[in-house]
Amino acid sequence: MAATIAGVFQPEVQNLIKESKVLLVGAGGIGCEVLKNLVLIGFSELDVIDMDTIEVSNLNRQFLFSKESVGKAKSHVAKNSVLKFNPNVNITSHLGDIMDTKYDMPFFNKFKLVINALDNKKARSHVNRMCLSCKIPLIESGTMGYNGQVEFIKKGVSMCYECNPRSEPKTYPMCTIRNTPKEAIHCIIWAKFLFNQLFGEIDEEVSMDERNDESEILSARNWAIQNDYNPKKLFKKIFYDDITYLLNMEHLYAGKNIKPVLLDESLLDQEHIRYSHVPDSEMLTLEQNISMFWDCITPIKEKWEKSTNKCLVWDKDDDLMMNFVVSCSNLRSAIFNIPFKTHFDIKSMAGNIIPAIATANAMIAGQIVIHALRILRGKFEKCQNVFLRSMPNHKGGVLVKDKCIQPPNPKCNVCSSDGEIILISDLNNFTLRQLEELVLKKKLNMVAPDVTMIDRVIISSDEDDELNMYDKTLAEVGMKHGSIFIAEDDIQNYKVRIMVHDKEKSGKEENVFEIINNTNDFHTANEHTNLPNPYENIENDEDDCVIEKAASPAGGTACDNNRDTRGEVNHVMVGKEDFVYIEVIEGVAEDIGIDEKTTEKISNEEVDAEEISNEEVDAEEISNEEVDAEEISKEEVDAEEIGNEEVDAEEIGNEEVDAEEISNEEVDAEEISNEEILAIKRKADEAVEDINDAKKSRID
Amino acid sequence: MASEVVKNGDDGMSKDERNVYDRQIRLWGYDGQNKLRATKVLLIGMQGLGAEIAKNLILSGVHSITLKDHTEVSILDRCSQFLIPRDSQERNRAKASLSAAQKLNPNVKVIVDTTPIEENVDNFVSSFDVVIATECSPNTYRRLSEHCRKANVKIFIADVYGLFGYFYQDVIFTHSLYGEVFSNNVQIDTVTQTKKMPQLYYLTSALLKFQSDSNRKPNPDTSEEDIEELKSIIHLQINYSSPEQENAEVDVFEEHYGELFCELSPTTSIIGAMVAQTALNTVMNKPIGNYNVFFYDHIEHEGKFHLL
Repeated sequence: MAATIAGVFQPEVQNLIKESKVLLVGAGGIGCEVLKNLVLIGFSELDVIDMDTIEVSNLNRQFLFSKESVGKAKSHVAKNSVLKFNPNVNITSHLGDIMDTKYDMPFFNKFKLVINALDNKKARSHVNRMCLSCKIPLIESGTMGYNGQVEFIKKGVSMCYECNPRSEPKTYPMCTIRNTPKEAIHCIIWAKFLFNQLFGEIDEEVSMDERNDESEILSARNWAIQNDYNPKKLFKKIFYDDITYLLNMEHLYAGKNIKPVLLDESLLDQEHIRYSHVPDSEMLTLEQNISMFWDCITPIKEKWEKSTNKCLVWDKDDDLMMNFVVSCSNLRSAIFNIPFKTHFDIKSMAGNIIPAIATANAMIAGQIVIHALRILRGKFEKCQNVFLRSMPNHKGGVLVKDKCIQPPNPKCNVCSSDGEIILISDLNNFTLRQLEELVLKKKLNMVAPDVTMIDRVIISSDEDDELNMYDKTLAEVGMKHGSIFIAEDDIQNYKVRIMVHDKEKSGKEENVFEIINNTNDFHTANEHTNLPNPYENIENDEDDCVIEKAASPAGGTACDNNRDTRGEVNHVMVGKEDFVYIEVIEGVAEDIGIDEKTTEKISNEEVDAEEISNEEVDAEEISNEEVDAEEISKEEVDAEEIGNEEVDAEEIGNEEVDAEEISNEEVDAEEISNEEILAIKRKADEAVEDINDAKKSRID
Repeated sequence: MASEVVKNGDDGMSKDERNVYDRQIRLWGYDGQNKLRATKVLLIGMQGLGAEIAKNLILSGVHSITLKDHTEVSILDRCSQFLIPRDSQERNRAKASLSAAQKLNPNVKVIVDTTPIEENVDNFVSSFDVVIATECSPNTYRRLSEHCRKANVKIFIADVYGLFGYFYQDVIFTHSLYGEVFSNNVQIDTVTQTKKMPQLYYLTSALLKFQSDSNRKPNPDTSEEDIEELKSIIHLQINYSSPEQENAEVDVFEEHYGELFCELSPTTSIIGAMVAQTALNTVMNKPIGNYNVFFYDHIEHEGKFHLL
């Protein structure tokens, strides 16, 4: 409590510290460190909220917890721990979800400052909106392995959390998973699928292979039940007979260099081979994997029979379930000639584990409090974003900052009133329920949306409004191609205009919707989720923060919770036409290698380019585009271009103007087809890439 | 059944330890963790910065850590020393920290040593893999640096002054000794220096000179006199260096003067973590060998390594 000791701070700073009430969202890795720092420096009114309980794997960094506190609420234990070294602080600890409606505007308005120490995009977006609408400064933070970052967010002063697209997960086409796996991750995802097929939530839509003739083929589950989950029979069926079947479907592997190879028949009845996965970094042999498969089936089956609703949720911390995935993915790897992985590595990939250490959290937490002091003194201009690098850059920098505060994106659909979103879907087949669950809640992170068309309310968050329209399609409530409606969340005080584009669905695994907005790149907006997601219940393992599990509404998946420094490995099913995408968030932690400041610069320019592309898509404001595009390219040049860059950027700008002219004609015709929007968008994306390439080459 | 995960002797790590260290083993591997498990650390000085370093090293799972401090708990510890419970009856800083430090990780041997480092610098350091010193006098730092160099023991020297902090490291034994970087007489150095020194080097040198002269760090009770004293030290240094630096430096440090007292938690958190992580990386054969000094500038919020 430095602020209570005379002479440590100037009197005015001392008072600010003592009097400012601060909300800390998250009592995980960063949260514990921040709480300690806030209490030591002398803040006397703190609220800390976390919905999680303590786990053993937290203990290497969440130092306010000990073995005895495993299973208890993080927020309460953290509070009690800090009170030991400073009993004179008034801490209110909440065990709960920050997205709960009881943490409303009046709750947020009690605070001078909010600090996010969260682990998922959804909750971060929510707090971002709450703080924007209350005009409370927010410090946003994250770590991943050795890396980390601190961002300052204030309405009208800096970029908000949603001004920029956040890194999106990698996707894998479903056909790769089913038929042509090339990497271990494909086999691991497949193994988790298989687990769900046998023991998890039944998923009729996703079959494990290419067979179309459903009547002839029993589902894996039914087959297993009929054979009483006999391990050896199951093994033969899944890893031998089914592969034989695949091989008989000639078109599958015609002209491809990937082709399964049948296991040696003698393995089907091999002797039981001893194995042990301690250390779990040891590679098992094919024979050992087979034995491990045989051994885990029966005990998992027994567990399954005892489970409620006969449904198991795969859990990386369950040794048996882990053995199942290890053995199945390695067996499949053997068939497709992919190198085996160790138990340790498979657990990382299958269990969405990202590495986390005490020191990175402590450095980020220290910087958060330095920022907090600046913010309380109103020195916003000194609160640039700060990045923690794993290794010094060429100038020796480890904690590096942006040159200046990043200004808000004027086209942001969250912090600017000019934002607009385009929703592409089949109006005759898209229901209001889907609109609410998939688009508004899941994709746009709303909590309690209301939707108004002209003067008519079609979705209401007020339970007393018995509209009973959820089963109606968009067309049935009167939406047409080009209609505009307003979606609003009173809790977040967030309002966005959404324009509808009609696109007839096609294909059997149909495409439910697409979103194009100012901050999201088209490719990342491909969320079509009429398919049930076998991984929805995946535990999000990052505990340096809070809130993923229960925060997701029924339709919520783990797909949204990655951040720049938060490389969760989440597998998310997203069906598009004949593909199912499975998302894996980029990289487990190692240094990115380039200067973060550089990355930032690039991403700033991406925003500029995004603006351009949005304008292209925007059907109504085209006349001035040419000027805008020119201006944007000039801004880019101004940034710090030298010599030839200027020409390049100008050229890019011109190309975009061309694209606009094309779209202009089309707008005149009053019917922009989706393909055209896509084509323009694609062109814009290429332009963005060009800009980035130009930038990168200069950096090199 | 063979699938049961059991402890086996291959690397000696119990399942318990694996579970606790899981998230970091996924960063630096079993090899790295095993190196840490064999590392013996001497940590001198248990004020706020010492507490941070101790916390980070104990959590990481080193073999043992000796907390060495002969001084008594003071009210200023409340600014950053979170290992000392408010109701502790123990007067000695290291002893008062022991219980909370040990609780962070029962797998680590935490040892308390309450004798002053000045009494046994010479042979003492060689029984450790890493020595980390805080809150000593500049002279003690110089001696420690020399002894560690002779004994091939990796050393880190770190201090926090208010919101400013720095550390020195000697881990590959080829760069300058502490006393060569931070000599008692900075003026002479700046004249002979051919390369431009970072601004914060002058601030650090002035603070060390202040400590040598006054036998203490700047103190909040005497903040005004101490700031004047520091200013005059810096002014003397700058008189000997090039004239164009003069104006710049006086202005630059103006913002620092108000926040140089006690060890304040945001910076103990940053420096403590940076020292600990650099030490851990060194033990795991990934030293940051090109540099020997790190400064954290809270005004610019930048943390940079330098070779001085």
